[in-house]
Amino acid sequence: MLGKEVTAELRSRVALNAIGLFALTTLVAVAYQIGPYQIAEEDRPHLLAALLWIILFFAATSGLARVFVKEEDSHTAKTLRLAARPTAVFVGKYLFNLVLLLALYDVIVPLFCALMGYAVAGVPGLVMVMVGGAVALAATSTIVAAIISRASGSSTLFAIMSVPLVLPLLVFLIRGTRDAAGSGDLQPVLASLRAIVAYAGVTLITSVGLFRVVWND
Amino acid sequence: MVLFAAMPEISITFDRVGKRFGSRQVLANLSGAIEPGQVLVVVGPNGSGKSTLINIIAGLMRPSRGEVAYRDGEGTLPRARWFEYLGMAAPDMAVYEELSARENLRFFARVRGLHRSDAALDDLLETTGLPRRERDRPVATYSSGMKQRVKLAQAVLHAPAVLLLDEPSSNLDEAGHELVARIVQDFRPRAAVAVATNDPREMAWADARIELAG
Amino acid sequence: MTRKALKIWFPWVLGVWMIVVIVAAFFYAPPAQGFKGESSRIVFFHVPQAWVAVLAFCVNLVASVRYLRRRDPLDDARAAAAARLGLVFSVLATITGSLFARVMWGSFWNWDPREVSIAILLLVYAAYFALREMVPDEERRSTLSAAYAVLAFVTMPFLIFVVPRIYWSLHPDTIISASGQLRFEMESRMRQVFFGSLMGFTGLFAWLYTLDVRLARVRMSRARREEV
Repeated sequence: MLGKEVTAELRSRVALNAIGLFALTTLVAVAYQIGPYQIAEEDRPHLLAALLWIILFFAATSGLARVFVKEEDSHTAKTLRLAARPTAVFVGKYLFNLVLLLALYDVIVPLFCALMGYAVAGVPGLVMVMVGGAVALAATSTIVAAIISRASGSSTLFAIMSVPLVLPLLVFLIRGTRDAAGSGDLQPVLASLRAIVAYAGVTLITSVGLFRVVWND
Repeated sequence: MVLFAAMPEISITFDRVGKRFGSRQVLANLSGAIEPGQVLVVVGPNGSGKSTLINIIAGLMRPSRGEVAYRDGEGTLPRARWFEYLGMAAPDMAVYEELSARENLRFFARVRGLHRSDAALDDLLETTGLPRRERDRPVATYSSGMKQRVKLAQAVLHAPAVLLLDEPSSNLDEAGHELVARIVQDFRPRAAVAVATNDPREMAWADARIELAG
Repeated sequence: MTRKALKIWFPWVLGVWMIVVIVAAFFYAPPAQGFKGESSRIVFFHVPQAWVAVLAFCVNLVASVRYLRRRDPLDDARAAAAARLGLVFSVLATITGSLFARVMWGSFWNWDPREVSIAILLLVYAAYFALREMVPDEERRSTLSAAYAVLAFVTMPFLIFVVPRIYWSLHPDTIISASGQLRFEMESRMRQVFFGSLMGFTGLFAWLYTLDVRLARVRMSRARREEV
């Protein structure tokens, strides 16, 4: 599944473009408006962490639904439904979204830090938060994408449904990012990481179970 | 053309099946059966619910009323497993346009857990009449007739015990229609076959008919 | 008492009960210490509303899970009924909470985690109905919204339990202390009114819910008759 997704995506590049462009344009807009020097020093860590995750989350919203919406739009969903086991479909699509997110983070996060003057003290901590965030965000996004693809497929619905689910996760991610950037000490980051991992685990397990009914209606 | 060794014989029954979309009643109180060795033809004007019935039999849609059952001689199969025995081609079931015909078949074979060599897949494409030089080009470049051939190949790839064809000859020329006829003849002895159509030549294959009023 | 008798008497009893509760809330119970003026009285209404919103969420979950198991359309009707009431009560809870915040701390919104939890619950309900609007096929609508309900339920604990642990709370600790334990530090009269209100609001929810489900049942049997 993953192989097929990657091949198809590389040939058409639609999701990559959507997510990448969205993230870049938002980033540029934010950087232009706020700039690295206009925020009070004590507010910076938290605000910048929050801004970063808002950009990353909404970029995800613009592209992660595609894995399922595209199948429905191009009428391959039925063919796939009759050919593959649901769990295989979910895992393949989830991994694709995960890879997409990680690729996005690799590009946007360094760019953000550079443009916004975000000095990161604890890089390993930050990396862990990013990876955890990608794992969790990909899980929620994939199952919500599956649901909306069977509804109207609109990205507005995707955002409406994702936001309430993801808000607690964002709280952990922002806090973890802030703590990781603030110091090289991993201790404070671990509390957030625990929450992120727990969230990711719970969401993944529930999604795999729910996907079967969503996919097969 | 195909190997039947692995597949059991499946018979399908549908009992008092009805389907409603909002306030519109598309199907009502339909009962019938598809047995191996038999071809069931579903006829009716456009919008009469032929595709809906086929989708319900395939398990792609749940009926509002009634039930569909798959039996394999030992008992009933759970809905989650129907797709393993099912091959289907329909106007709204496409293959992946970014991939070539070969890549599509390779993908569907692997995803179904089949180990088909490239040579075997190529033979299958040969029998569907897809020109050799097109097989490695993306399906997006194909004519609708060629796309239909790939869809049919995908449907019979795993030598299914149940074959559902929704308007199989659409987009096909005379040679294409003969291909569909050949497929139905090949499958008729061992498989349960259902065809939804308005084409009189295809209606002639029927051992049993269901007419939908629409 | 027969079910029919209950059906007739219950709304009246409930009505009288609620009137007593409201009057008692203003005249019987004393204002609590540490609150500005009479503002503590809002506790008698705000907390039960929030409680009902959460209760509705649980009812919705149970109905959703049952629907996914048995595919009985009545379970979907139950889930939708619970969600409708949940939406109403979470709006009420958010508004009363907001009014209280205005009186106590001068602004309508303070980003207190518990305030935010109720608001997010509201968003979940809104998303639930937005989803339902977008699916014309009844069976699919029921399945998808049930799936979403389960998904939302699974992420809720993080919001309700984990987030407040990480953040300092503005929320008055008279009911729930920082460590998450329930403490009843209310004076006895306040306690009476509070529990009376809690029971009243729960009764209100039960009554409206039962009506909604009964209505759905009638609609379903009429549709079935028309089909045949």
